[in-house]
Amino acid sequence: MKTEQIDYKNFYYPPGGILIWILISLELLTFGMALIALVFMSKEDPELFHKSRLMLNTTFGATNTVFLLVSGFFMATTVHLFKKGNFDKASFYLNLTMAGGVLFLILKSVEYYHKVETGLLIDHNTFFTFYWLLTGFHVIHVLVGLVILTYFKFTLKKLETEDLEAGAAFWHMCDLIWLLLFPVIYLIL
Amino acid sequence: MQKKDIYTLALLIALTITTAFFSNYYGDLKYVGLIILILSGIKFVSIAFQFMELKKANSFWKGLIITFLTLFISIIYAVL
Repeated sequence: MKTEQIDYKNFYYPPGGILIWILISLELLTFGMALIALVFMSKEDPELFHKSRLMLNTTFGATNTVFLLVSGFFMATTVHLFKKGNFDKASFYLNLTMAGGVLFLILKSVEYYHKVETGLLIDHNTFFTFYWLLTGFHVIHVLVGLVILTYFKFTLKKLETEDLEAGAAFWHMCDLIWLLLFPVIYLIL
Repeated sequence: MQKKDIYTLALLIALTITTAFFSNYYGDLKYVGLIILILSGIKFVSIAFQFMELKKANSFWKGLIITFLTLFISIIYAVL
């Protein structure tokens, strides 16, 4: 573990490094624009979009939000413990972080299964095209995040602080994207 | 565990339950959409500033996130 002091106030060194924050900015912009497009499209047939939105399970959505939030909390704890050099505890909290991600994916799979079973597929209507694409791309991000965390799990003691912070920032980005998707897709249309 | 992180998590969970409650029981009222968006915005900022430690970063990055969020909520609400 590299213990050098990082000057976070420096423009080039936000927590995790400048590259991950450029990535986060672009990801948020992309998902944000897609959600704005969804809301624009809903104006063409508000009734259809509202009825389609009511077919989603808000409880599943809210529960998944809690899974990601708790997982994000464990990730933040992992980074704090790592910086203190407490690797065993950091590893334990990293496991809890990944468990939160896995629970999210399990519940999302159950939700997708119900949608497929009732014929609410990607070509059902415009709302469900957006639903499948946006939540699907988000799921891919969670999967990539889990791969990164699994790598960290096995290399924790050799990691540099900035690498762990960058991975943590990617994991938190999944929370941020979900916090844009959840209210727009599940709650307000 | 940092106490501030625990308080932030409690706030985030409370806001999640509140937004779901508002949507389920007051979904047809005029300003519920805006309330849900603002509460979600608070959650977004809490994660970015506390869990991602953006509070320690250069003002540029803080400003970028706040500007993005303000624009996003404003456009969504204007179109709704």
